[in-house]
Amino acid sequence: MRRGIVTSSRPTKRILVVDNEQYIQEVTKICLEFMTDWEVLTVGSGQECLSMAEIEQPDAILLDVMMPDMDGPTTFKELRVNPATASIPVILLTAKVQSSDRHRYTQMGLTAAIAKPFHPLELAGQIAAALGWPLPEQLR
Amino acid sequence: MKILVVEDDELTAQVLVAILNTQNYAVEVATDGQTGLNLVETFDYDLVLTDLILPKLDGISLCRQIRSRGLQMPILLLTGQDNGHDKAIGLDAGADDYVVKPFNVEELIARVRALLRRGGIASQPILEWGDLQLDPGSCEVTYASQPLLLTPKEYALLELFLRNHRRVFSCGMILEHLWAYEETPGEDAVRTHIKGLRQKLKAVGAPTNLIETVYGIGYRLKLQAQAKLKEQPKLEKQETRLASIAEPTLALVDHVWHQFKERVSQQVEVLEQAVKAPEQQDGELVQRAKQEAHTLAGSLGIFGLPAGSQLARQIEQVLQAERPLAEVEVIDLQNWVIALRTVVEAKSQTNEATMPDDRPLLLIVEADRAIADQIARAATTWGIRSQVATHLKQARTQICLDPANVVVLDPDIAAFPTDSFNLLADLSKQVPPVPVVVYSEHDQLADRLEFAHLGGRAFLPKSASAIQVLEAVNQVLQQVEQTKARVLVVDDDPALLAGLRSLLEPWGLSVTTLADPQHFWQTLEDCSPDLLILDVEMPHLSGIDLCQIVRNDFHWSSLPILFLTVHSDPNIVNQVFAAGADDFVSKPIVGPELVTRIINRLERIQLLRNLAETDPLTKLANRQKSTQDLENLLNLAKRQNHSLCLAILDLDRFKLINDRCGHATGDEVLRQVGHLLHQFFRTEDVVARWGGEEFVIGLYDTHQQAGVQRLSHLLELFRHKAFAGLPAQPIGAPPCLTFSAGVSQFPANGTDLHTLYQAADRALYRAKSAGRDRVFCAEIAQSVVVSSSNY
Repeated sequence: MRRGIVTSSRPTKRILVVDNEQYIQEVTKICLEFMTDWEVLTVGSGQECLSMAEIEQPDAILLDVMMPDMDGPTTFKELRVNPATASIPVILLTAKVQSSDRHRYTQMGLTAAIAKPFHPLELAGQIAAALGWPLPEQLR
Repeated sequence: MKILVVEDDELTAQVLVAILNTQNYAVEVATDGQTGLNLVETFDYDLVLTDLILPKLDGISLCRQIRSRGLQMPILLLTGQDNGHDKAIGLDAGADDYVVKPFNVEELIARVRALLRRGGIASQPILEWGDLQLDPGSCEVTYASQPLLLTPKEYALLELFLRNHRRVFSCGMILEHLWAYEETPGEDAVRTHIKGLRQKLKAVGAPTNLIETVYGIGYRLKLQAQAKLKEQPKLEKQETRLASIAEPTLALVDHVWHQFKERVSQQVEVLEQAVKAPEQQDGELVQRAKQEAHTLAGSLGIFGLPAGSQLARQIEQVLQAERPLAEVEVIDLQNWVIALRTVVEAKSQTNEATMPDDRPLLLIVEADRAIADQIARAATTWGIRSQVATHLKQARTQICLDPANVVVLDPDIAAFPTDSFNLLADLSKQVPPVPVVVYSEHDQLADRLEFAHLGGRAFLPKSASAIQVLEAVNQVLQQVEQTKARVLVVDDDPALLAGLRSLLEPWGLSVTTLADPQHFWQTLEDCSPDLLILDVEMPHLSGIDLCQIVRNDFHWSSLPILFLTVHSDPNIVNQVFAAGADDFVSKPIVGPELVTRIINRLERIQLLRNLAETDPLTKLANRQKSTQDLENLLNLAKRQNHSLCLAILDLDRFKLINDRCGHATGDEVLRQVGHLLHQFFRTEDVVARWGGEEFVIGLYDTHQQAGVQRLSHLLELFRHKAFAGLPAQPIGAPPCLTFSAGVSQFPANGTDLHTLYQAADRALYRAKSAGRDRVFCAEIAQSVVVSSSNY
């Protein structure tokens, strides 16, 4: 856990961020960890996401759409096939969200899609809203 | 909102459209002035953004034509270069505002937004902030019903803060807002006005820091418990909570950019390669380019570059067309990639907001490049920037461009020694003088005397090593530090106070003046001066009385005191010295004499004090000095009923660094830590090194939770900082340097320094045993409170 302040309890939520670009992993982690008391895990590919999700059992997965080798939607389908990861909510992070896409994503069983580029101070609120989680105290 | 852009340069127009689109404005483009006018006459626009130089009808004529037709929409001018003449004509012709090219995206958006908002203002409500009221209708300002008499600039400054009460304004932004149409003065002017405004506010009983300094950023209104805007109290609180977390978050986002700017640059390079001749490219490169454009489109906006994201998206879309590209499309692509490169480079060249380079600057005037480079390298390890001049003319130019804090000079650099001596003499005549370390083969007594006469501050034989030179430089720099000293002047004559201020401030002295001795004690504690200047005769309390009071107080017994007096009567002089004065000067004041006496006095005490009060390695206060400062702060907190946080910060596993990298590296890291702490905390905070790798910090008017939060932000910065000398850590590996800290609070954990220190120390101990790299709160009473969970 990398929180600056040690709280008496564990972080309220754990999120797995999947993006092949390292700096996007870093910046997403900073935006979420600074604005909330969530813990952020990061991986760089769909394949890693599958094993990490199974071991770590995060509360949600933030998944980039366009990745080499295994793209976001494929990774999502694989997650659903495995009973150990089938029920983890998945949010797609994508540069293209059009209303037709949104419909398609919901059909697939994705919880939500969030547009990239996101605003660093707003991402946490968007995720909380999509998952029906209480807003982090800083944003309340 | 619909905006008309009149711009003949296609690339600029595209960038403008992209920027305005990100703000959800509808944008239309006219490529010459006449077309622009036709469109304006036919359609309704909420704003017109026009270039000055346009085919058919220029921007200024366009403004006149629009206004002569009775159309009132705001007009924003885009002017090339900073041409005051054009701006004035443009504004006279009916434009509302202007932006100078090359424009800053944020600024452009802000100005457009401001102009659009202006259209909607019907009445001007009274602006309120706690007890402070500003009536824009009558231009009257009151605090708790007491009127404030402000100069026009002070009024404008206050109005700016009140109208944007959540915003932090940098000096630059304030200059922009307050001096928009005239020649803008330097940033010092802003500080002077802020200071004036603060003093007037304080005089009517407003809290000392109503206008608060946000360290490293600028100024804003301080949120008081009672100071909520009446119409929206709830929103206010929420915004502030967000604001406190927003700054460090954005600073870290910026930090990630600087860490990865090479990677982004490579991505743009792939695009540059791919669009050179897209038809001849192999499929693999185009495929990669698509991928990179996609990533950039999704990421640049996160780093505050929405225009970059927009450009990358356009590029991606064209690349995805599975067909041969038309010639125009190729040209578009190439232009977009050029624009993208410009946007990315502009961001990369800005310094990180959190880390301005304020290291002192050393100018090395030395003909032998090899020797100069040795000194320059040594300087870096001392935390000093350096420039090298290999001949005198170059040295003079560099001093004009970027005044050095200290100069190392080999007089043999010039063919005629007199030329070097002239430079030396000129440097010592600067205000404030630039100290010079002379470094010469001629080390006869006569030579040394000559250099000293001309103002040389230290002399070294040419055989001295680079390290010896730097030791001398460092010592001279420490002597110079005194020119940042604070002086408190008490005199009932306002003209004299104003005169002294203008006399002393150019020397880098910070001058506080007080006309009414009845407020003496409070001002003394607030200002905590390095030198006190007293008038002998004043109503109510004489200077001699004040002097005795000061001398009788333990904390101030060593404060140097200088008297001003019209009497040279031996009897009075005797009384003055008997009361404990250090020196006296007769009125009328002779400028140079007074300055010399003050500087001498400060220099002497400072030299002793520096040895006694400053930690030579980190330049922070040592334990003795900071103990006294903390005691003063604690007294202030008791008297003003404020809280005070005491934090102990200890670097984790520091011995390992010394063991593995050597003690020289360990010292270097400590020096950087000292610099980082100095930059991170506010000037009013006490920051000290108490020994080894232990640092003590006093945060005035800060509650424990806020203190813990502040330290946690610092810890986050540590984790992301690359310390020179330590091996760079790959991403994902544990950070190379962290600390543990304990935080206690007055009065909850104790009312004296010793108890507060012990409480913080116990918390630190717990932080260490819990695994280091964390910040713990001191326990309050018997309940076990382990920090806050709101963070």
